[in-house]
Amino acid sequence: MSRPPFSVLKLSLLLVLTALLLVAASVLWSWGLAQDAALRLQQQRNALNSAQQQLDRSRQQQQLIATHLDAYQTLAARGFVGDEDRLAWIEAAQLANRDAGLYGLSYRLTPRTKSPPALTQGLPLGQTTMVLTLPLLVETDLMRFLSALRSRASGVYRVQGCRMSSLGSAPFEAVNQPRLQAECDLLWFTVAGKVGGAS
Amino acid sequence: MLDHRLILLATPRQIGVLDWRPGHMHWLGEFSANAEGLAAFRKIVVGHAHLPAMLVADTVDEDYRSELLPHVKGHARNELLARKLKQVFRNARFTGAWRQVRETTGRRDDRYLLAALTDADWLTPWLSVLHRERVPLSGITPLAMACEHLLDKLRFQEQHTLLAYRLNNSLRLSYYHNGLLRFSRLIGSDTPTQLPSNAADEIAKTQLYLAGQRILPREARLHVLLLDPSGQLDSAQAPLNADPAFSARLIDLPSLARALRIPDDFLAATPEVAPLAAIAGETLRLNLAPPELLQRHTEFRWRRGLHAAAGLIAFVGLGIAAAYWLQAQDLDEQARLLAQQQQHLETRYQAIARAFPAQAAAPEQLAQTVSLAQHLDSRLTDPAALLASVGQALEMTPDIALENLEWTDESLMPSGDILIKLDATLTSFDGNYRTAMQRIERFMRALQAAPHLKDVSLQSSPVNADSTSTLTGKTFDADTRKDAAARFSLSLRYREVGS
Repeated sequence: MSRPPFSVLKLSLLLVLTALLLVAASVLWSWGLAQDAALRLQQQRNALNSAQQQLDRSRQQQQLIATHLDAYQTLAARGFVGDEDRLAWIEAAQLANRDAGLYGLSYRLTPRTKSPPALTQGLPLGQTTMVLTLPLLVETDLMRFLSALRSRASGVYRVQGCRMSSLGSAPFEAVNQPRLQAECDLLWFTVAGKVGGAS
Repeated sequence: MLDHRLILLATPRQIGVLDWRPGHMHWLGEFSANAEGLAAFRKIVVGHAHLPAMLVADTVDEDYRSELLPHVKGHARNELLARKLKQVFRNARFTGAWRQVRETTGRRDDRYLLAALTDADWLTPWLSVLHRERVPLSGITPLAMACEHLLDKLRFQEQHTLLAYRLNNSLRLSYYHNGLLRFSRLIGSDTPTQLPSNAADEIAKTQLYLAGQRILPREARLHVLLLDPSGQLDSAQAPLNADPAFSARLIDLPSLARALRIPDDFLAATPEVAPLAAIAGETLRLNLAPPELLQRHTEFRWRRGLHAAAGLIAFVGLGIAAAYWLQAQDLDEQARLLAQQQQHLETRYQAIARAFPAQAAAPEQLAQTVSLAQHLDSRLTDPAALLASVGQALEMTPDIALENLEWTDESLMPSGDILIKLDATLTSFDGNYRTAMQRIERFMRALQAAPHLKDVSLQSSPVNADSTSTLTGKTFDADTRKDAAARFSLSLRYREVGS
């Protein structure tokens, strides 16, 4: 084919140009559609995964609730969850002293503090120190008192430590007078109330 | 549609028009070379002006020359051929050259067939109509070239072939060497060729002429094909075959129709379409049209190429766009199905979430709280067992009097032990610190040997004999001995069994 006669081919060239433009526009438009659809599909996949994970988590939570709800409610009733019930603790100490047949006691409660992080397991666990001072006739009185306290106290506590010392150096006499004094530190634990509901 | 064209068969007396496209053809009629014929021809052309046209000329005023020319290419070849055509055919307007073969010996020259319409005035009115109606003329070729394609379609492959073709009351004799046109002549209707013997004579004369011109070797046997739809050449076969220089064969109409793939009745009604149908789909190898007549066809081909390109671009582009669109539809459908699944999952989640207790803590915190309470309630110190262990050591050392006992529970800490600190005094201390230290060490060994007790260490002793400190004191006599005291402090660790 010889050199193209451009002067008579204007319309044809315009037709080719128009076809190119139309094709470019339609391809770009449809490509955009496909890209948008791919993006929507990806978003929908993510949403589906989220929904699946949410459902799986809710099943796990359902299992956790079924397993632990009764125990949790029992702990809440014991005063482990929620505000401190100092009166119940004092009452438990008094009743334990009476049950053990001892000679009275004195108590001192310190302000509530946060428990060490190694102990809390991420929960808002707090602890209150109760210092009990009680006279004893013999060492076994302390065991009887602690045993009675264990049965009387409904809250969660631990005996942090005890100090026993003799009240004087007088020789032993068979009289019903306390010759020993015990001072025990008790830690009462409480977890702050509801942090968040089930999701 | 791309290969749709008009094939014109022009003679000095008339012109026939064939509307051809692959697989289809339609004979539009014959038009005489007078005013009425021209008007009717123009009417037909106007109706098909958008189609390219090829003109096949059938005239006695034609000339053929076979030439050997040096092998050159490109522009040099064009100039060489232009000079040669000018030299051979002088001022003939319709000339052309066809490079047929290249010699295999010598300079390996190219063999050309040069052809011309020596008198083409009769063609001018027809070409004027085509030019006026802007018909893209693709070329002008002699009827003998169309007959070459006819031989090809008939699969006739003899080395020396003479085609005797009777058409429009004229007899055309064309010689083909190895299927390639070398010479042709038309014997007009004014010649009494109706007689079979005259046809045979004309063939014999032509054979002599070809031999005389050294176009045909003298000893060669000429294969004659007799093609005459009217059947008037049939009787020429016998006299020709009687001559050993000839081998004549008749081509009947059904064979021709079968070779050209056109219906028998159509060919019988319009026998002139045979050479036109043969050349219609072929590339024009010998074109006698001058370049100025081909300008519109050049434009037509460019235009058609551009339109085809535009169509191809549009087709491919629309295909790609459609593919993207379908992909988008498919992706949207997948997204819709996923949305349904998500809705289903959320419904199930809502059903589960509704069953959660409203006032309870988060389930994870709930479990952690229970676990923590269990942990805090575990590993509680048994003071009785602790005191029993210490008491066991005290029983073994009755000269030790316990004054204070203190323990600290670290069982929840990593060490997991209970620290014990005790303050004691030696009974019956006589001021002999060496003996006192021996008694204390004995007590410490007793503690170390007691169950669950370990790491017994002396925190303070009755006397500090360290060389870095000041040591003061006094000795005791027999009266003051009872007031003397030897106090010491110990620390140790207690670990319950299993902890």
